[in-house]
Amino acid sequence: MRVEQNHRGQMAAMSMPALVFTVGMIAFPFLYTIWMSFQTYSSTGQVTGWGGDNYLRMVVDGQFWNGIWITLYLYVLSLVMQLVLGTGLALLLFRAKRLPGIVRSLFISPFMMPPVVAGMMWLVILDPSLGAANWILTSLGLPPSAWLASPVLVVPTLAMIDTWQWTPYVALIVLGGLQSLPPSVYEAAEIDGASRRAVFFRITLPLLLPTLVTAMILRSVDLLRFFDLIYITTQGGPSNHSMTLNIYGFRVGFEFFQLGYAGALMVTLSVLVLGAVMAFNRLRAVVEW
Amino acid sequence: MAMKPSDSRWLDWINVVLLVLAGMIVMTPTAWMILSSFKPSYEVIAFPPKLIFTPVIENYVTLSKQTPFLSYGINSLIVTVGSTLFGLLLGAPAAFVASWTRITWPAVVALMARMAPGTLFLLPWYVMFRQVDMIGSYWALILTHAVITLPIVIWVLLPYFDNIPRSIFEAAQVDGCSPFRIFRRIALPLVSSGLAVSAILAFVFSWNFFLFSLVLSNSQTKTLIAASFNFIGEGSTNWGGLMAAATIIALPPLILAAIVQRWLISGLTLGAVKG
Repeated sequence: MRVEQNHRGQMAAMSMPALVFTVGMIAFPFLYTIWMSFQTYSSTGQVTGWGGDNYLRMVVDGQFWNGIWITLYLYVLSLVMQLVLGTGLALLLFRAKRLPGIVRSLFISPFMMPPVVAGMMWLVILDPSLGAANWILTSLGLPPSAWLASPVLVVPTLAMIDTWQWTPYVALIVLGGLQSLPPSVYEAAEIDGASRRAVFFRITLPLLLPTLVTAMILRSVDLLRFFDLIYITTQGGPSNHSMTLNIYGFRVGFEFFQLGYAGALMVTLSVLVLGAVMAFNRLRAVVEW
Repeated sequence: MAMKPSDSRWLDWINVVLLVLAGMIVMTPTAWMILSSFKPSYEVIAFPPKLIFTPVIENYVTLSKQTPFLSYGINSLIVTVGSTLFGLLLGAPAAFVASWTRITWPAVVALMARMAPGTLFLLPWYVMFRQVDMIGSYWALILTHAVITLPIVIWVLLPYFDNIPRSIFEAAQVDGCSPFRIFRRIALPLVSSGLAVSAILAFVFSWNFFLFSLVLSNSQTKTLIAASFNFIGEGSTNWGGLMAAATIIALPPLILAAIVQRWLISGLTLGAVKG
């Protein structure tokens, strides 16, 4: 029995440092932010008491609703593009059978580089007056675009950059799903003389759904918290047209130093992310085979 | 799939052409960045852009002369290596215990850290580190970056530990081996490839992370990623220098990722996909 206790002690000792760190750096700060978000402040910024002031302020804050709208717009646009293109790319890679290491390295290079670097390179490529993108447009006889400087195009442009960066990631996930599909189903379909289109829509796509939902979850978590690329390229501009909830919360916190209100915004964003993940998890349970 | 063989060969060709096209779209922006970094300053802003030019290293030279690029790089290395080691030191034993005893809190917490926006943590950290006067210190950066590395280490290592047959541990236990000894002498050597993958992924994501060092570093401890924000301000007049900086910052993660490319996807999807 002494030995047994000793073993338990050692197990506890091995997980203790991680537990202490987790409590101190993750769990406690998490609760602290929630606590801060329920503090009320006087006009001079002194804490006066408790209440839902920050959340009430949010409801009447036009910038908050703008942030929600931009976040969801950017999210849906990017997610749809990445899933469609990613699935297409995965099918191409799957048909090619062999995937040499050099090709795989090429396809992982966009999403393993810092988003900040992606932002820097696309700033230069998309420069309205001297950028290579507008040079291509004009040589094709098309009018040049303002890209990130355009209030209308800024979100689609950010979505395009993120799609360039993360489509190969989605593709490699979907490729993993394709490779795990049972070959017997395809043999049966061949014997039955099913058409190529029927095989894709009736067999491949339904069997692939759980993998696609997994990809959606992983991308949703990042896309709803979209930050680095926006902060590097536009910082929410032009005139707040790319001010996502995350960017807005950061600026409220670290430019205006309204920590309580920033906390309320971040708690709301976390609930949004959690809600999306839980919804997709239920969806995955439905499509599982 | 009732298909004539000639039909299928034709489709194979289309497949290759489309793949090459996709590869070019993926590669071109990065190639453009590297190309621009070797252009002389008067040619980098030429319009229409030039594809043929005499490459120079002028941009890299001015970058190292006019900015404290080297010390930013050393700061980045200190923070990244420090947080990676910290994550491994805490995460590997925790993942082992979690795998053995089937406790789930490490995985749940790791997931929570992955889902919450960085600013949510940064707000209280800012208050906490200001209290103890640690803003701008290496420790503040290493500890906050360990919040990125620890979950990666735990998530990557968990399936590796789970794959070790339990009978090995039980046999060792019967022979009087303590859990600590089992971990160090048996489990760790068996997951050495997992350790390598988790270390590299932790390094890459710590290196790439922007938000925490943006707020918590000062002029002495500024990392390359945080400094790139300044380069953009100056870059409006000096694209060559900006692209040279971007190229150098992207290099370490790209090289490391290429080394573990085969195991990368299963690590990045938290084990949801077998690569």
